[in-house]
Amino acid sequence: MKSFLLPLLAGALLVPALNGAESASTDPAQLRKIALQIDQQVAAFYRNRKLPVPKVTDDATFLRRAFLVSIGRIPTSEEALAFIEIDDPSKRENLVDYLLKSPGFSSHMSNWAFDLLRVTDRRTDSASTNTPYRHWIRTAMERNMPWDEFTRKLIASSGDGWDPETAAVGYYTRDRGMPLDNLSNTMRIFLGARMECAQCHDDPFGKTERHDFYELAAFTHGQEPIRREVIEPIYRELGDDSRRETQEYRVARMLWDNVYNLSLGGGGAGRITLPSDYQYRDAAPGDMVAGRTPFGKTVRLSEKKDENDGRAKLAEWIVGRTDSQFPFVIANRMWKRVMGKGFYEPVDEYIEPGKTHHPALASLLERTMVDLKYDLKAFQHVLLLTKTFQFATNPNASSVEGADDFHGRKIERLSSEQIWDSLITLAAGDPDKKPNRSLDDRVLLDGRPVLVGKKTMSQLSKEVLAISSEAEMRRYFTKLVADIRNGGGSSAGDASMSMMSKPVSYGKDSLTRASELPSPAPRDHFLYLFGSSDREVVDAASREPNVGQVLSLMNGFVQARLVNDSKAHLYNCLEGAGSDSEKVRRLYISILNRPPSDEEMSWMLDELKSRGNEGTRNIVSALVMSSEFLFLQ
Amino acid sequence: MSHDSFLKADELTRRTFLSNAARTLLGVHLFPMFGPSVASAASASGAEARAKHVIYLFMSGGMSHVDTFDPKPKKKAVMGKTEAIATKADGIQVGHYLPKTAEVMDKVCVINSMNSTQGAHEQGSYIMHTSYGLRGTIQHPSLGSWVLKLGGRIHPELPGYVAIDSSPDLTGGGFFGAKYAAAPIGSADEGLKDSKRVSAVTSEDFDRRLSLADKLNRQFHGRYPNADVKAYEELYREAVSLMNSKDLAAFDIRQESAATRQLYGTGRFAQGCMLARRLVQHGVRFVEVQLGGWDTHYDNFTGVEGRCREFDQAYAALITDLEKTGKLKDTLVVVATEFGRTPEIKEEHKGGRDHHPSAFSCLLAGGGIKAGYKHGLTDPEGGKVKDGLVSVQDFNATIAHALGLNIDEVLMSPTRRPFKIADKGKPVMSLFA
Repeated sequence: MKSFLLPLLAGALLVPALNGAESASTDPAQLRKIALQIDQQVAAFYRNRKLPVPKVTDDATFLRRAFLVSIGRIPTSEEALAFIEIDDPSKRENLVDYLLKSPGFSSHMSNWAFDLLRVTDRRTDSASTNTPYRHWIRTAMERNMPWDEFTRKLIASSGDGWDPETAAVGYYTRDRGMPLDNLSNTMRIFLGARMECAQCHDDPFGKTERHDFYELAAFTHGQEPIRREVIEPIYRELGDDSRRETQEYRVARMLWDNVYNLSLGGGGAGRITLPSDYQYRDAAPGDMVAGRTPFGKTVRLSEKKDENDGRAKLAEWIVGRTDSQFPFVIANRMWKRVMGKGFYEPVDEYIEPGKTHHPALASLLERTMVDLKYDLKAFQHVLLLTKTFQFATNPNASSVEGADDFHGRKIERLSSEQIWDSLITLAAGDPDKKPNRSLDDRVLLDGRPVLVGKKTMSQLSKEVLAISSEAEMRRYFTKLVADIRNGGGSSAGDASMSMMSKPVSYGKDSLTRASELPSPAPRDHFLYLFGSSDREVVDAASREPNVGQVLSLMNGFVQARLVNDSKAHLYNCLEGAGSDSEKVRRLYISILNRPPSDEEMSWMLDELKSRGNEGTRNIVSALVMSSEFLFLQ
Repeated sequence: MSHDSFLKADELTRRTFLSNAARTLLGVHLFPMFGPSVASAASASGAEARAKHVIYLFMSGGMSHVDTFDPKPKKKAVMGKTEAIATKADGIQVGHYLPKTAEVMDKVCVINSMNSTQGAHEQGSYIMHTSYGLRGTIQHPSLGSWVLKLGGRIHPELPGYVAIDSSPDLTGGGFFGAKYAAAPIGSADEGLKDSKRVSAVTSEDFDRRLSLADKLNRQFHGRYPNADVKAYEELYREAVSLMNSKDLAAFDIRQESAATRQLYGTGRFAQGCMLARRLVQHGVRFVEVQLGGWDTHYDNFTGVEGRCREFDQAYAALITDLEKTGKLKDTLVVVATEFGRTPEIKEEHKGGRDHHPSAFSCLLAGGGIKAGYKHGLTDPEGGKVKDGLVSVQDFNATIAHALGLNIDEVLMSPTRRPFKIADKGKPVMSLFA
């Protein structure tokens, strides 16, 4: 048995290799020290409230929890056995290290970011793609871009949607036509401030007035594409009924939808006029309002002229001039992600550290976020190293209403993506060995690649956006249409060939990580059925049960691709199993990542005895249908 | 059913009872028998409920009112190729693409004075379905989920809310959660997905799997007596009884007689209407069926003719069928759309019509609504509402009132903001018989 269990990664688990690139802020000794401080604060909480200190959970529960929380899937049987069977006092720390180095970490973070930022592959109201923006977010997660830098790049973005340096403009162009909703979401996501009521009226429950909202909207006002006017006459001419079927029109539309519409001009006017239905006495419809921030250290802009750097000023204010708000909002989001429940909830309704039920710990977390320079991986690393993370599951509701009582993890259904990523691990083996989806940078005309070997979308976009007059555009456009018509077979040069190889992409039925599949999941997909977000609204994923999910587990995808598929990866674990009890044990380790209890063993042995091979499938089916599989302990 | 499952059924009944008791104490009404009963009591708003069910037919894309239910025969410039024809109801005319519908108009109430504030598809469909404007920041529950939330289910096993060919974002539970979302049907012919045991698994093995899973789950629930964990236990019971019970046949339109199938016709929308009638008959509270393709910017007359071909026979059959089976009395059949289309015809777009939210038409039938009745009036061109304006919220309030629901009941979103089933809408009382 042992030889089956200890393949390559046992070594990886045992050697907490320090990556040379890691900075001083992620020095392991430093992280352990902060983890200890957090545990001391939690212990103080118990002492004050005279509560018993929870027990530390067993290895098997820790294993499954650590995998699901940090990389969003269950361990493979090899990974599970390597951990369970090794006797090493530092194996939990080593496991956390192993997980944070796994490519699965950024896959799981990407699901989180896609839900938070509503990242879809396409826009619902036009033929424009969001894929360069999606790729920018995915890459930022992969590189663990610090949260302050990430926020600045999104909010202050400007420029070409296809340039990897500026593709963050998708944050705005994704919402083209609804800039006020975009701004409400910005306040909600980065500062935990809810302002959407104030878009239309003074907030009756809070303190935000409609005037305040418009003063904020002034910062980001003016989100037009770059120099679209140079192509507009051509686009209009070709859009005429008689020419709509022509190749020219298709090319013009491709530039309109997927070059211009992806670009973001200007830098944010800094002033805005009040809408025609403005209803309060402090100002009149049509009045010009200048940028002014509603709280924190006030930033004001001029109402006399467009300063054209409103977005950069807003980014600077959010990140640097809102005191604890910016760091504590993200610290709380990360606390919820790792510990299961936020310091306060909902996580997008900010409560300042001093007003939470544990001010000292809240301040420590806020300070830690700043000290770690907004390195979200390092911050999660700290939390994963705490004893608090290792507390045994607590079946009761939190004793602190709407917040974490630090009293053991609450039982919770896995997210749709966690269930999917776990099922594909069973069906097709370690999904993190597959390459990520890559950016499709080909020039596509009605879905078909053109100018193959000649031009990428980023090259095309750069050339097109540089054109500053209609006459120049007409010349360029005529040549572009001719180049496309002349076919894309010949190559411009060797260098460009390799860049333009077919991108890595996955269809909706691929047994691949949810983060690499089409976003949002189609309506008839397993992911959608189990509550994945349609990514139209911030954090709209659901963990609500419905009868369709249960029908699917019993009769749908799980049966077809896992239970009743003899080629499913899971069944490899049975190779060489000498006895029925060894088979049961391996199935348990693979699916629930723990050995069976004596009672369970006797049930399952009975099953194998009476049903033979079918019995094996019945056991797999029952384990996957069990609540233990669907819930995180 | 095997002997084994009989034993299990007994045990499940006992556990269901316990878990229902827990739900009632928690104030969560998963099962309607513990929730407020719509049909039995007059609501706080004083309505005497006539309707128990709703079949909501949504004409997606914006149905041209002047070519269908608000023709202007005296204005040739408005009508274009469309002609008005008489119907079985005095004083009600319809476009000539609707001959079969004309025959049932004596059972239908036409509202010609609909008015919406939203002129884009997404926003328009959203406000029709939720009574609130579309925000990027909150998902409002759809009308069907409000009806479930306030009225409860009728049948304990069948889903209370089913959406056929519809968009889940318009038929979701919003902030009420997935429990109140429609069970989606992608294809009326196929019925409810995954509701049949796969052929590779014998019924003995299926029972064994459930029985093993049940043992594991009981153990797990023993350790974690948690409401969410229990919900799945409950759903297995629900799903299994749904799979085993003859009520699953509610989803199987192949069981309809040849005569009935002929009555409805063969189109996709017709199959949806037939399934809706079956579901209502079996105790489903709210069924939505969508018919898309009404966005006739180009060549409106060909487009409308094609849509009406899908709609006409199916709708007439649905009304006839419901009446014949006695279900029209307590089933409210709604025909809705997000907006109408412009009276002016864009010749440069091969006779197209653009979006027109300021005046359009919807229909109500059955469920205590006046039959052969016309409400509201547009100007001679069909451009503006002249009399009896019905806002989107009023329309939804009227549906809620027909069901005897309390339209003044305020429910808070998780972010503690107050919402009502039809926002500030008032029911149009003159529509009730």
